[in-house]
Amino acid sequence: MASHRLSARGAGRWLADATLALAAFAAIAPVVWTFVNSLKNRVDIATSVPRLVFTPTLDNYVYVLTRESARGGLVNSLVVTGASVALGALLGLPCAYALARRTGRWTHDLQFFVLSIRFMPPVAVAIPLMVIWLGLDLYDSRLSLVVTYLLLTLSSTIWLATPAFRRVPREIEEAAAIDGYGPFSTFLRIALPVAGRSLAGAVAFSFVLAWNEFLIALMLTTSDAKTLPIVASELTQLGRDVPWGILNASVILLSLPPLLMIGVLNGFLTTTVARGARRGQH
Amino acid sequence: MNVRRLATPAFVGPSVLTLAVLAFVPTVFALWISLQDRELGQPDAHFVWFRNFVQLAQDRRFLNAMRVSAVWEVLTVASTMAVAVLLGVLMFDRCGPRMRRTLTLAFIVPVLLPRVSAAFVWKFAFHPLFGAATWPWRALTGEPVDLLASPVSALLTVAFVDVWQWSLFFAVIVLKLLETLPPQPFEAARVDRAKPWEIYAWVAVPMLRGPLLSLAFVKMIESLRSFDLIYVMTRGGPGISTETLDMYAFSQGFIESGRISYASSMAVLMMVVTTVAFTTLWNWSRRWQATV
Repeated sequence: MASHRLSARGAGRWLADATLALAAFAAIAPVVWTFVNSLKNRVDIATSVPRLVFTPTLDNYVYVLTRESARGGLVNSLVVTGASVALGALLGLPCAYALARRTGRWTHDLQFFVLSIRFMPPVAVAIPLMVIWLGLDLYDSRLSLVVTYLLLTLSSTIWLATPAFRRVPREIEEAAAIDGYGPFSTFLRIALPVAGRSLAGAVAFSFVLAWNEFLIALMLTTSDAKTLPIVASELTQLGRDVPWGILNASVILLSLPPLLMIGVLNGFLTTTVARGARRGQH
Repeated sequence: MNVRRLATPAFVGPSVLTLAVLAFVPTVFALWISLQDRELGQPDAHFVWFRNFVQLAQDRRFLNAMRVSAVWEVLTVASTMAVAVLLGVLMFDRCGPRMRRTLTLAFIVPVLLPRVSAAFVWKFAFHPLFGAATWPWRALTGEPVDLLASPVSALLTVAFVDVWQWSLFFAVIVLKLLETLPPQPFEAARVDRAKPWEIYAWVAVPMLRGPLLSLAFVKMIESLRSFDLIYVMTRGGPGISTETLDMYAFSQGFIESGRISYASSMAVLMMVVTTVAFTTLWNWSRRWQATV
């Protein structure tokens, strides 16, 4: 009887480990496989049996990076994402700091307003804004895209930076006040550096949101301001003689910047979830 | 002291003003356009009041899109939460600190990918002739299989990619939530000779119901943003079997007819429904968490 129960438990453990191994494989393998495919010639990709042995080539990357449309998309993505994230941090961090330090009904209402911006269906934002930007003669420009993305980056920065500022010990700020620091220098010289690492995570998160954004860019650009996701999706819609290698290469290039943020975001996740849950339990 | 009082408006003012303008102007404008008969490329527009909305109620394609969106929402939220809790508990039970760190990094990868990338990666993996994921089927039966060609399997395939992106990430959060729990209830249950799965099902997961509910709430909001996946993988097809509300609004406004007012009336309806639903849910969950 005892040995029977032991073996049932052993089987359960084996099943649990196998499930986790399968999940880890499912998480990584598609990305690795896409990378492998991006190094293949067309003849090595378009095969019924997936080919593991082949002569690698960088032709696909060279092709993508020398193409006018892809280079334009890359520049647009960098400019639009960079500007909207920087502006979002510049405006959002002080706001998050005030929300973390002052309490009252209005801070609660304001936080809900910031969250509720995330409820807005992107189509409902993009359609009227398209008409507005057309009317202002700013349609298909980087400026209009930066302003539109501010909605995204500003709200996410405020939402994620508020808990980070709340973790800054009040005692440090009170000591600074005794030393004659005003509210602005307390924010700049005390709160910002102390909360620095978590804030970097919040900003990295808003970068990923803006870099990955697709629907709004699709509706608000046609040629001049097209971002990289739009260019990549156009490549995937090509009909026959699909250049599979080039597609895989452009998907890898598009995915690289968010993946580079993984370290920062992982650290941010750990502190935010752990502290948030502890706060919720008390 | 005076400076201190002035500081709050200076800190909060600029971003609140920016957000208010950026959120309210499009909302009001969307409402305004939805009452007209505006079309792309035509300068004239007249007020038709609620004619667009009346037409929507009779539009079978719109009703289909509502059904697809509802199925999508339930399917992706439920599967994501189920897979996330299962994997989170398994990691917590089976892995030491180093293994947890490794798995965490691996599990975050899918959610960081742009939706366009995730959609392409899997569209190619499911390619009937060259896909790596469809290769076992080809090897066994000798025939190609096109999962995106039939209505039910197409919706399930796109939903699978969505769940792939989110459930692994949520599993990491579930793990980190489990790590914050105090050990005493676990020990008490073990003394009572509870089996491991019983401890998780009746002790650990109920203790985390608040955070898990918030996670489900986040996923509900994110599931509304299915457009990128569907646009790249199926374009709403085959037929209209994967056409969600945002996909239909987009094709009415941009691809097929340029009926921007009609598309806008759809967007307005979506906005009203989601705002009412999420505000109610949010308040309800806060009250529920306060009483329990």
